[in-house]
Amino acid sequence: MKPGGYVLMLMAFLVPAVLTGCSYESRETTLHKPGVYKGVKDDLLARQHRQELIDRFKLVQTDR
Amino acid sequence: MARMKFLCDAERCIGCNACVTACNNEHDVPWGINRRHVITLKDGESGEKSISVACMHCTDAPCAAVCPVDCFYTTPDGIVLHDKDLCIGCGYCFYACPFGAPQFPEQSSFGVHGKMDKCTFCAGGPPPDGSEEEYQKYGRNRIAEGKLPLCAEMCATKALLGGDGDVVSEIYIQRVTQRGGRPDTWGWNIAYTFKTDKEKKP
Amino acid sequence: MKPFHKKWLQRISSEPASQRGIDRRTFLIRGGVALGSGALLGVLPLSCMRQATTEERKNFPRPGVKTEYRRTICNHCSVGCGVIAELQNGVWVGQEPDYESPINLGAHCPKGASVRDHGFGHLRVKFPMKLANGTWKRLSWDQAINEIGDRLLKIREESGPDAVFWCGSSKASNEGAYLQGKFAALWGTNNVDNQARICHSTTVAGVASTWGYGAMTNSYNDMRNSRAMLFLGSNAAEAHPVAMQHILRAKEGGSKMIVVDPRFTRTAAHADIFARIRSGTDIPFIYGLLWNVFKNGWEDKDYIARRVYAMDDIRKEVEKWPPEVVENVTGIPKDKVRLIAETMAKNRPSTIVWCMGVTQHHIASHTVRLFCIFQLALGNIGVSGGGANIFRGHDNVQGATDVGPNCHTLSCYYGLAEGAWKHWAEVWGVDYEWIKSRFDLSRKYDAGGGKMAYPMNMPGIPVSRWIDGVLEDKANLSQKDNIRAVFFQGHACNSQTRGVEMKKALEKLDMLVISDPYPTHMSVMSDRKNDTYLLPTCTQFETSGSATASNRSLQWREKIIEPLYESKPDHAILYLLARKLGFEKEMFKNIKVEKDEPGVEDILREINRGAWTIGYTGQSPERLKLHAQHRGTFDPLTLKAEGGPCKGDYYGLPWPCWGKPEMKHPGTPILYDPSKPVAEGGLVFRAAWGTERNGVPLLAADGVYSRGSDIKSGYPEFTSDTLKKLGWWDELTPEEKKAAEGRNWKTDLSGGIQRVVIKHGCAPFGNGRARCNVWEYPDPIPVHREPLYTPRFDLVEKYPTYPDRKAYWRLPTRYQSIQKVNHSAKYPLIFTSGRLVEYEGGGADTRSNRWLAKLRPEMFAEVNPKDAADAGIFNGQYMWLEGAEGGRIKVRALVTPRVGPGTVWTPFHFGGWFQGKDLVDRYPEGTAPWVRGEACNTATTYGYDSVTQMQETKATLCRITPA
Repeated sequence: MKPGGYVLMLMAFLVPAVLTGCSYESRETTLHKPGVYKGVKDDLLARQHRQELIDRFKLVQTDR
Repeated sequence: MARMKFLCDAERCIGCNACVTACNNEHDVPWGINRRHVITLKDGESGEKSISVACMHCTDAPCAAVCPVDCFYTTPDGIVLHDKDLCIGCGYCFYACPFGAPQFPEQSSFGVHGKMDKCTFCAGGPPPDGSEEEYQKYGRNRIAEGKLPLCAEMCATKALLGGDGDVVSEIYIQRVTQRGGRPDTWGWNIAYTFKTDKEKKP
Repeated sequence: MKPFHKKWLQRISSEPASQRGIDRRTFLIRGGVALGSGALLGVLPLSCMRQATTEERKNFPRPGVKTEYRRTICNHCSVGCGVIAELQNGVWVGQEPDYESPINLGAHCPKGASVRDHGFGHLRVKFPMKLANGTWKRLSWDQAINEIGDRLLKIREESGPDAVFWCGSSKASNEGAYLQGKFAALWGTNNVDNQARICHSTTVAGVASTWGYGAMTNSYNDMRNSRAMLFLGSNAAEAHPVAMQHILRAKEGGSKMIVVDPRFTRTAAHADIFARIRSGTDIPFIYGLLWNVFKNGWEDKDYIARRVYAMDDIRKEVEKWPPEVVENVTGIPKDKVRLIAETMAKNRPSTIVWCMGVTQHHIASHTVRLFCIFQLALGNIGVSGGGANIFRGHDNVQGATDVGPNCHTLSCYYGLAEGAWKHWAEVWGVDYEWIKSRFDLSRKYDAGGGKMAYPMNMPGIPVSRWIDGVLEDKANLSQKDNIRAVFFQGHACNSQTRGVEMKKALEKLDMLVISDPYPTHMSVMSDRKNDTYLLPTCTQFETSGSATASNRSLQWREKIIEPLYESKPDHAILYLLARKLGFEKEMFKNIKVEKDEPGVEDILREINRGAWTIGYTGQSPERLKLHAQHRGTFDPLTLKAEGGPCKGDYYGLPWPCWGKPEMKHPGTPILYDPSKPVAEGGLVFRAAWGTERNGVPLLAADGVYSRGSDIKSGYPEFTSDTLKKLGWWDELTPEEKKAAEGRNWKTDLSGGIQRVVIKHGCAPFGNGRARCNVWEYPDPIPVHREPLYTPRFDLVEKYPTYPDRKAYWRLPTRYQSIQKVNHSAKYPLIFTSGRLVEYEGGGADTRSNRWLAKLRPEMFAEVNPKDAADAGIFNGQYMWLEGAEGGRIKVRALVTPRVGPGTVWTPFHFGGWFQGKDLVDRYPEGTAPWVRGEACNTATTYGYDSVTQMQETKATLCRITPA
């Protein structure tokens, strides 16, 4: 093989290898804490809570 | 999802500091820290305006952007909160915030500032809602109880509004319309280069 | 690490930065804990400036503990905001907005938002104390009461009952204030008074003499109906912040807001028109307005013809005030005066608001009359949106004025004549002759105006003059001896003028007793070393009771917390003292006393039984509690409950609430409003001065009557004889007839006369005309008189003050002898004072409140840049402000254009300093307020109203020098 071909093959191996090294990988681990829920908040409850807060706003802060 | 916002109607603000005091009361804020403060422009002169400022819970919070330990988080309601356990008191968030919302308890130029403290929209912090730990570190969590920030609920003239951004806008639009259709907020005449009636009259 | 990426991903996450296990930063932080460097990071609250005490830590809300809510009324100003207290196990842990209250709709000012600090009470007087050899010694209650009682009895024996001055309070509840007045009456003196004297005493006198009652005619809420509002000497944005809610809503509805004040106040910042007036020239200003009104024919001629007496006398006087003269005297350009007059006239109904800026002058009783006359000229009285909206000061100054301690009248303005005493003797169930025997009956004294009277029937020494009662030569007093002891319950002393002389008076006293939650400036301002007592008194949060807001509504307060430390409520202290002094049986005859504490409801019921003049008869404790419970059913604009258990009532049953509670009168929301029947809250002007004078009728014209009235013209006040003549007498029940025989609507304790009269649609007090000419007054038609200390000495010749008086409310009182000297040469600047939003009154309780103290830590004086430059004073520098009588105060200069050139303004709330010296060491341990400063009244001067002895605080002179 020509010397340029070796260089090309080297690059073909090295470049992906380097790129994998540069890729971002999250090192986050969700540690479990007993009794504490860390998932996404419940959608229905959130909507209810939003309405509760709107009602509260209308009750207290509007010009009655 | 709704975004929680504050809006201080400068036409109604009388600079009384009820909002500041309500906040200090509710969260037992220590002496030296004011989570909310009232700013008066042109004090004592024609055109005097007061406005109440605290953390504005920005959609794209600069404090969160610059925090080196990443202690800020935004709730689904749009409330920007932070975790005092992670805070290192570096003060970057204070530099970044255009409103001066982050406050630090230590009064020294060098050394540790102490844990950053700021308005939480009365939504507490990371510890469980309504827990003693949450109260001690962040103050009351009124949002979890279905209530709104006390500063806005106790404003003397209902100048300070705090709640769902859409509803707050509705109220403000109503007021502006009632007042004659254009806001007297400062900047308006600069932005639109015409004088409001106020500026015309001595 | 790429922090930017992390942030970008996590920004919309609802989770806090997740746990990474211990890393370098966390390790360092936790290491910091071990080192214990200052703040305990991450574990405890960062109360770093001052370690939170264990007491404070107790007062925070805990999860899972049962929470109770109680409601009371804020104890600061007369707006009467509802306060909701959150309690856990009897500890006050939070406040919630009282959004159901129709008066404040949940809003608060900083004072209302901070009342929870009363639940901590760090700086309260915790136990009875006595000053002995310059140090404060602790006493037990028994010791204190015994010592004080013994001393009082000794003084009484040696110098008579008038030798003690009892100062009551407008911060007491109606029940507490009522007992304070009763206490002094049964002790045997009229030397009892309260803050109303130095607040709106001139208003009450002047306005009542014009049309019947001297109180706010409409309400804060009603101002939303006004088309124009004129604020004269009123800084509502700082003194009545929550009232601004209604005012700014009115403005948003198109109402024009006009502010006239020597300062460009925070209220003026919201005004459409602002006019800077020279202090003390209110009368010329109103004449200037009237000149424009009459010249352009803007007056309501029909209204004047039908309901007003002697407006022509005013027209004559107005001719002396053409625009150039008004401009010369007041300093307001004539175009502006015209503009204000036009705005008020062309935007009716228009309302006028005034406060201390107008009332604290030596001619104020006449000034306020002129304000009323202006409103009468425009036909603005008795209409919604109009009126004379008098914003009162303290939370219960209206109640204290009405039912409480006053030196010139018994409760409810009955006066001091024999008939008044007999009325109250009957209500109290006490023998009139016995009461009489308690007084000094040795001889008659000079009662002024060429009359002689017994002390029982003569006004006592008012709180504005108590120092003269102590210091004046006793030969000049209209009582047996000087005042030798004072008992101040709930009243500051730094709100009265002439601090330098007050110090001397305090040092001369035999005994000083201060019954207050806080030590107050009075306990430290003098060099007294002995015989000063501090009695720990409860705040209104530690007891229940009713309070009357400025709009005449009564509101019920629930007890929030148990009395802190060893404090006792006002009424309990009065009971203990009355028992020691030997008259508790008479005083509490109809009031149940349990465990040495009188029952509050019983006291209100006693007021209900006797208060026929002003209609405090229908507001029973039950009705008031019902209103409090169902306050959300009242409409915030009309204050009327359109439905619910209180249907038909007006919130708080604003007085006059005629007749017995069973009659269920709804209260009178707007005074003198003939559009409603009297039974539904309507009213006409009072006919208190006879039926005619010099041939001119004083009763209302034909066709002027309240809706549904059987008598369709003016009529005099009702007596049993009048009822007989009208043929209504037989509508009384037999019991009512027995009680009402020979009586009138004020003295009939059965209420039958009022009941029957109202059934026929008539007002019990008659149907008269409002008077422009008050012939009993020193100036029947108001005339301008320059302040005693005036910067315009050139005007004194044309507008002189009164001649000196030899005996006026028992004291010689000077006028001309002061004004004839030109003080303005040495003291060129006007010195005036006013309120701050953060503090209230004498400031003893608000300056001891942590959250309020944060906001305003120092005393200061506002100086115009021109005057500052002339005196060589820079912004923030300490300066000496010397008053025209030599009193000096050391304050920081706040150089601002807020005050005009030639005027210096200070707040009056500060105390704890005296002439440059911080008196912190004189306070009992642990009671010195967080914020102390000079009391501005150390530098104020002599000057007293010609009808009510109000002090002239708003217009005096001073000079300033760098310190």
